[in-house]
Amino acid sequence: MTSSVEPISLSQKQASNDTGIDREALARLLVEIARNVDPDNHTLYEGVPAADHRLEKLRQLLVGGEISELSRVTHLLDEPEQLATAVGNVLPEATARASHTQLGEALAPAVERAAQRSIQKNPNTLTDILYPVFLPAIRKSIGEKIDQTFQSLNESLRHIFTWHGLKWRLEAWRTGTSFSAVVLKHSLIYRVEHVFLISRASGLLIAHVTSQDATSEDPQLISSMLSAIQDFVKDSFKEKESSGLDTIRFGELRLWSEVGQFATLVAVIRGNPPEELHEVIRDVLLRIHQESSRALERFDGDSSQLPGVETQLQTCVELQHMDSKEGFPWLVLTAVLLVLIVAGGWSFLSWQSAHRWQTYLSRLAVQPGIVVSDQKIRGGDFYVAGLRDPLAADPQSLLPGTEVDPTRVHSNWQFYQSLEPEFVLKRLSASLAPPDSVRLSVIDGRIVAEGEATTTWINRARAAAQQLSAGGPVFDISGVRDVSAEERWQAYVSRLETLPGIIVADQNVRDGQFYITGLRDPLAADPESLLAETQVDPARVHASWQFYQSLEPQFVLKRLTASLTPPDSVRLSVVNDRIVAAGEATTAWINRARTAAQQLSAGGPVFDISGVRDVSPEERWQAYVSRLETQPGIIVAQQNVRDGQFYITGLRDPLAVDPQSLLAGTQVDPARVHSSWQFYQSLEPQFVLKRLTASLYPMDKVRLSIVNGRIVAEGEAPDTWIDRARAAARQLSEGGPEFDISKVRDVSPDARAAEHWQYYVSRLEAQPGIIVAQQTERGGDFYISGLRDPLAADPQALLSGTKVDPARVHSQWQFYQSLDPKFVVKRLTASLSPPKSVRLSIIQGRIVVVGEASAGWISRAQAAADQLSADGVVLDVSQLRELNLAELNQLREAIQSTDIFFSSGRVVPGPEQTPVLDRLADQLKEFAENARKAGVTARFMLTGHSDITGRETANASISAARAETVRALLNKRGVAPELLLVRGAGTFEPAVPENENSRTGNSTNRRVSVTVNLE
Amino acid sequence: MLQKKICMLGGFAVGKTSLVRRFVQSIFSENYLTTVGVKIDKKSVAFPDKTVDLILWDLAGEDDIGSFRVSYVRGATGLVLVADGTRPATLAVALTLRERCEAEFGAMPFILLFNKSDLTDRWAIPEGEIDELKQRGWQVYLTSALSGEHVDDAFRQLASMVAN
Ligand SMILES: Nc1nc2c(ncn2[C@@H]2O[C@H](COP(=O)(O)OP(=O)(O)O)[C@@H](O)[C@H]2O)c(=O)[nH]1
Ligand SMILES: [Mg+2]
Repeated sequence: MTSSVEPISLSQKQASNDTGIDREALARLLVEIARNVDPDNHTLYEGVPAADHRLEKLRQLLVGGEISELSRVTHLLDEPEQLATAVGNVLPEATARASHTQLGEALAPAVERAAQRSIQKNPNTLTDILYPVFLPAIRKSIGEKIDQTFQSLNESLRHIFTWHGLKWRLEAWRTGTSFSAVVLKHSLIYRVEHVFLISRASGLLIAHVTSQDATSEDPQLISSMLSAIQDFVKDSFKEKESSGLDTIRFGELRLWSEVGQFATLVAVIRGNPPEELHEVIRDVLLRIHQESSRALERFDGDSSQLPGVETQLQTCVELQHMDSKEGFPWLVLTAVLLVLIVAGGWSFLSWQSAHRWQTYLSRLAVQPGIVVSDQKIRGGDFYVAGLRDPLAADPQSLLPGTEVDPTRVHSNWQFYQSLEPEFVLKRLSASLAPPDSVRLSVIDGRIVAEGEATTTWINRARAAAQQLSAGGPVFDISGVRDVSAEERWQAYVSRLETLPGIIVADQNVRDGQFYITGLRDPLAADPESLLAETQVDPARVHASWQFYQSLEPQFVLKRLTASLTPPDSVRLSVVNDRIVAAGEATTAWINRARTAAQQLSAGGPVFDISGVRDVSPEERWQAYVSRLETQPGIIVAQQNVRDGQFYITGLRDPLAVDPQSLLAGTQVDPARVHSSWQFYQSLEPQFVLKRLTASLYPMDKVRLSIVNGRIVAEGEAPDTWIDRARAAARQLSEGGPEFDISKVRDVSPDARAAEHWQYYVSRLEAQPGIIVAQQTERGGDFYISGLRDPLAADPQALLSGTKVDPARVHSQWQFYQSLDPKFVVKRLTASLSPPKSVRLSIIQGRIVVVGEASAGWISRAQAAADQLSADGVVLDVSQLRELNLAELNQLREAIQSTDIFFSSGRVVPGPEQTPVLDRLADQLKEFAENARKAGVTARFMLTGHSDITGRETANASISAARAETVRALLNKRGVAPELLLVRGAGTFEPAVPENENSRTGNSTNRRVSVTVNLE
Repeated sequence: MLQKKICMLGGFAVGKTSLVRRFVQSIFSENYLTTVGVKIDKKSVAFPDKTVDLILWDLAGEDDIGSFRVSYVRGATGLVLVADGTRPATLAVALTLRERCEAEFGAMPFILLFNKSDLTDRWAIPEGEIDELKQRGWQVYLTSALSGEHVDDAFRQLASMVAN
């Protein structure tokens, strides 16, 4: 065997133990086989030859299939694409067979990373994928209650970029809760408070229902106003005929209106209703239309034509969804947050409509200083409206890149000032023009100013900060150092130096602290209080003042004034640095002043008292007395001075000034004055006027004045006042001024007449069957007009006893029929003449007829009731019972079949007829009574008969006599005679045919018969 | 509940709003009149047998006849035509407005008011003319929103006309 034999070339690759082929072993095996096949070969082939074609052939023969299979597999493993295809084919099956937990764990990190990458790259993809799964999944898992809230949530999310969104954001910011919580709070609660059904033609209210505790103004007016507003909107915006204004919102309330063919249904909803409510409302409206379409079409303002509608509306009012206290829907909140995170907030909305437009809108929404209040897509065009800060980006400039066609965008922007910090910062920079030493910046949403500035600038900044505090961001200026403090200090010091009574000895500034020392007069201005006006921080001021007495004239003046207390008649002043006293004073005072002047002469200013005249007490007394004498209402009778004491007597009116009070200020010593005043009533006009005013209490309309010494009253007053005034005038006539009351007009007769008249009118108004339409009083005459029922009291008759003069009353009454039940009853009684068995009464405004009556009367009453119902008066005849006529008829039969028989030639029945008469009398009485009850009068005709024997004339009279006899007998038995009529029929109405030839005549025909007549 | 829609018609400043104000106490501010073009008030008129709620629509802006919103009259049962007794031309305005309404919605009951009867010295409508109008069977009243004269009568009359 040689090793030169080439191994069989299978593959470049090292084969592995289990799958590969040991080439050497194979070669040896082949050589071994060859030897055994042919021993010659044994020597010929030492080992495996390099290229022996036979060997190759053998190989082909032995393992050819395996080799090709192997190379296919190898190829498969080497080519990544092919391998991928292959693994892909088995992967599902393999995954299915793998252990679930292990596989999950193995895959999780990779999948998570993949999802993250995907979201980073383009969130929409995942959103798009997840969206169809998302909503149903969430809804399903959260359950029914949340399902409802989610619908409002969808709507709420739509509000994020509207005014509401803005407001809610603010609320969230204010209350420190999350925005989502606020959205939920506002989105979950609603209640239908009112439902109006309004006629489309006239705007009139057909029906209105409210929830239990809801209130509203007059629903009729509301309904008309709503329809007027709808008309207005329709006219103004040229809306299509059928599309009304379907939602109006004010604050928490929404008006949803649903327009039907003949009527509009308006629901007033508090809170945020779900969209589905529209459908519910529409259903109710539809049902009402189906049920009452004709009545709706013909509605003319009479709501009684549509009775069932309210119950239908009631179903709407019962609708509400209140957020229950237990269980704030955190799950929803979590779900929403999840949605917001995954979808990147805005993209959640993109399903709504055109994606690109939404992209643009969301770009706008995130722009500071731009608020989109409204947007819509109509007919392929885009409409957007809102507010923009002049400093914000131009909305137009944001269009490029969004692929929205700018020519299709219609925007309507109003300028406003945004309160976002960066805008406020810009505006502040422009308006405050901060010095270079001040730097403004935004830190955590606050605007912070730092650096150094003058007080004026700081003050302006402070004002701006205050303004901003109302809703804007915080403007913090505490970091600005005031550099003008030292300037102000210097100003303060120089001010002090000019002040009299203050001497500044030394002052300096050290380390931001101010030091000052000096002298001050106690009467000088207080340096401390002056500080307050300078805006120098008092805490940084260290002052040290020593008191001293300034000899500057004004200080000396002050001290003199305090120590000498000069009387009113003396004036102190500084003239050319001298202190000058002038006027009049007592000797004592002048002496005290002189001492003071002497003291001052050593170093102080000159105190000159030479101008003070010494006045004696007597002089001052005389001045006082003459002053008193000029006072009105004071009469000085006597006065004198004795031993330094002053005596005065006289009269004073209580209304005059008090002499004592005049004494003060005269420097007359009150202790030396002895006065004796007697009160008297001054007759000077002004005193009399005062007294009259106090005693007469003149009415509002009377004015008292003094004219040429006379007291004149003018105006209007009742006679009682005039009487009192007249009495006063009479009193005054003795010595007093004249009191002229001739110009006061006496208004009492008119007033009293008007009072009586009003009493009469109120009496009329209280009368049933009288309606006062109008009444006035003109020129002392009274006019009244109105309606009166002929059955009502006579207005003229009511005049008597009212003290109204009938001659001054002009009345105009029109007759009408009052529908006041009382009057209707009167009229009915007159027209229907109800039988006694019937009673008419008024029960709660309805006329009720109770009792028994004949069928005829009942039908007349029924007809009257029908007529009255057209006038709105209820005449209830349902309780009338028809009389039992069968009973009555029976009785009538019995009566009419009764005969009283007579012996021949006799006109008085025999005793055997007595029981018949007794029974008949009873029957007649019963019948009469029953008939009366039924409203009819029964009369009984007693007809006398005779047999044919005897002469005809005799028979006629005998028959009449028999009837008369029976009438008397019945009368004796209690039958009212006026009910019994009598006639004689002679032989003409025989009960049985007579035998012409009979001599005795037929006893059956000798009788009295009875017939019953009803009237 | 028996309600009737009534429209006040007449030229500028003839006193429609004042008449309504005289007749009722309303709940809506008069600002609505200019913004929405109409003010609505209610007056209940009681008759012995029933009560009629008159829903009064006081229209603004019809001083220029061209701009008059006829649509507001839809569903009305009666009209109150108002002319200013000191301005004869306002009668023609009121009558024209009525014609326009009748052309649109058919004839309906109306009353004709010559308002401002308190301004006697400036009164410009001769008696004869008023008599002539009454001859036609029209309900004509001389009213004053200032003194209230005949205002109640007139509305009461209209209420009785529309109630049947
Ligand atoms: N003197 C007088 N003035 C009136 C009367 N009615 C209205 N006015 C005045 O006329 C003006 C117009 O009244 P207004 O009611 O606004 O008229 P409208 O435009 O028809 O509603 C107002 O200044 C009223 O004060 C009236 O009866 N007498
Ligand atoms: Mg007006």
